[in-house]
Amino acid sequence: MEYVVQQILNALSFGAEYSLLALGLAIVFSIMGLVNFAHGELVAIGGYMMYAMAAIAIQSLWWILPLAVLFTVIAAVLLERVAFRPVRRAPATTGLLTAFGVGLILQNIFLLTVSARPRAVPVLGPLNQTWSVGPFTISSLQVMEMLATGVAIALLLLFFKRTPIGVAMRAAAFDFATVRLMGVRANRVIAAAFAVSGFLAGIAAIFIIARRGAVDPLLGFNPVLKAFVACVLGGFGSLPGAVVGGFALGAIEVLILVIMPQHWGGLRDAAVFGLVGALLVWRPQGLLGKTVELGDKEA
Amino acid sequence: MSDRLFAQQSAEDWLRTTEGRKVSSTRSLRGAMVLALVTIVIGLIMLSFGEPYQQRLAFAAYVNIVVVVGLQIFMGNSNVANLSHAGFMGIGAYMTAVLSTPLAMKAMQIPDAPFGLATTEYSVVPTVFISLVVVAVVALITGMIVARLNGIAATIVTLALLIIIHSVFEHWSELFRGNQAFFGIPKEANLEWGIVAGALAIIVARLFKDSRAGVQLRACADNELAARAMGVNVWRMRLVAWVLGGTICGVGGILFSYYMGTINARSFHFHQVFLTLAMLILGGMRTVTGAVLGVIVLSVGMEMIRYVEGGPLIVGIQFPEMLGLSGLALGVIIVGCMIWRPNGLMANLELDEVLGQYGKLGRWLRPRSMVLDSEGPPRAGARDGKTSKN
Repeated sequence: MEYVVQQILNALSFGAEYSLLALGLAIVFSIMGLVNFAHGELVAIGGYMMYAMAAIAIQSLWWILPLAVLFTVIAAVLLERVAFRPVRRAPATTGLLTAFGVGLILQNIFLLTVSARPRAVPVLGPLNQTWSVGPFTISSLQVMEMLATGVAIALLLLFFKRTPIGVAMRAAAFDFATVRLMGVRANRVIAAAFAVSGFLAGIAAIFIIARRGAVDPLLGFNPVLKAFVACVLGGFGSLPGAVVGGFALGAIEVLILVIMPQHWGGLRDAAVFGLVGALLVWRPQGLLGKTVELGDKEA
Repeated sequence: MSDRLFAQQSAEDWLRTTEGRKVSSTRSLRGAMVLALVTIVIGLIMLSFGEPYQQRLAFAAYVNIVVVVGLQIFMGNSNVANLSHAGFMGIGAYMTAVLSTPLAMKAMQIPDAPFGLATTEYSVVPTVFISLVVVAVVALITGMIVARLNGIAATIVTLALLIIIHSVFEHWSELFRGNQAFFGIPKEANLEWGIVAGALAIIVARLFKDSRAGVQLRACADNELAARAMGVNVWRMRLVAWVLGGTICGVGGILFSYYMGTINARSFHFHQVFLTLAMLILGGMRTVTGAVLGVIVLSVGMEMIRYVEGGPLIVGIQFPEMLGLSGLALGVIIVGCMIWRPNGLMANLELDEVLGQYGKLGRWLRPRSMVLDSEGPPRAGARDGKTSKN
């Protein structure tokens, strides 16, 4: 029983992490068609910010966490301004490769300026405790991660439904030209999209660092790769698809960990990706993706 | 159904009646030979005058020519970014290793290899043949998934594929030695073979690009709706390019394995992906010439950057070691290209098409009649053979 509960919690917390990242990717993609491969480096920026702040004697989590998220948001908006604005009108492949290059640049800047080796960030230790609830022992981090993801999704819903810029963003995902004709500034909508994706990456960074206890240049690469697979699984560009895909991927991953023999543990990712590939044969457009007939105006 | 059949047939008729195929294949063979000749000449110069370490670098460049040209076949024609090509290179390299390594070496490294591989040893020809068949089969199976997906989703699946291939290398230690290096592969390849393979890859890629399949695939990349309406089977064309390109990348891997004698799964992971991708993007992925040019420029450039990275002593000043500089440079090249020259150095023109604008050689290279082409407006004299009959 305890084992089952633990595995379900694992699946949910993996899923929460993937959903956070996948949402950030999907928001940017739905609005400007950019596949942001540099998203993982935003997570790493958040991580290095926490490391830097802890090093210059800010020890209170109440300062470190919000500041780290804030810095990630700023970094995301800056990245858009510097690197992605010039390729905004280019085809999707150009944007994708640009983002790849940006990721590569950031990784190597971390490598050059900090170190290739992981740097410990022990400040976040207090987040990672074990709680005993009745007969179960659970990790505080997992609970907080799920709660934070839930709150973030709720905030995002409010943002998209209630604020003018949120409504503009939803409209822009549908038809950017018309939104601009309505007098909404394109730059503002896109900057907002990047800010939201940076916000989500910052939250994800907190949990990733708290779990691993250290930051290294490739910190965000693997989680974001999973998030991409989650996006594809859910249907690329669909926000509900990103969340569903994230949790589905978390569930698949835990399922495979449970089923697969121990000594094959290293093949976990391969098995997960293989399974997702098989799912895509069945539904090439993803779980929630719609089949768009070519030439359709509505996507 | 009958509508579709009709559409397909008439499209094929249309492709035949313009004589596009026939003329373009002679022209493209000539064009490919011009480019291949350039690489052969460079190779021969390296062979006769190069220091041993320069020859090693040259060999690496020729392996990269094969791989990048293989990458160009799928990526350049279908305009879908592929990130798994280094994986196919790895399959070629590892198959060569497990098939051709001497028995004594195998007993030491992979005594428990499945399929009786620990007790058999193949010579060059069967090794190359079996390796290529394995690469092609893997490409066929994966291609069936990739070809079904559109643009972005396809790219992410290719990335997942790279991870899958890499983790199989790293964790199937009975066959591939896991994360330890596989050594003792007979050193059968040399620079001469690299040059030959590079030239052949160039010719195959160019012939494919101008073949009916290549033209149809490029049509899909430019406007999928229109291409499908003309009856082009997008799925099949992508699959053909994927398998062909993957197999050529496998050839690169076989060469690499036979030359180095020692291979490691890390050689076929992200670093190789980024390097070859940057080469293709810099040169221009729409043309075979671009692929080759990118390899040449970046092979030289990266070597210089690596020199600086190691912390050299220049005019008495000791520079610090700067780890990560080469990666940074690759990133800057990719981003810079995408911003300022998204079509790469060569853009839409092959070498022979550039030369075709000038002189006697140009007249030989120019097409005699209309050539089917999906690319932009013709340059004066280079394309419109119809008006300038020789």
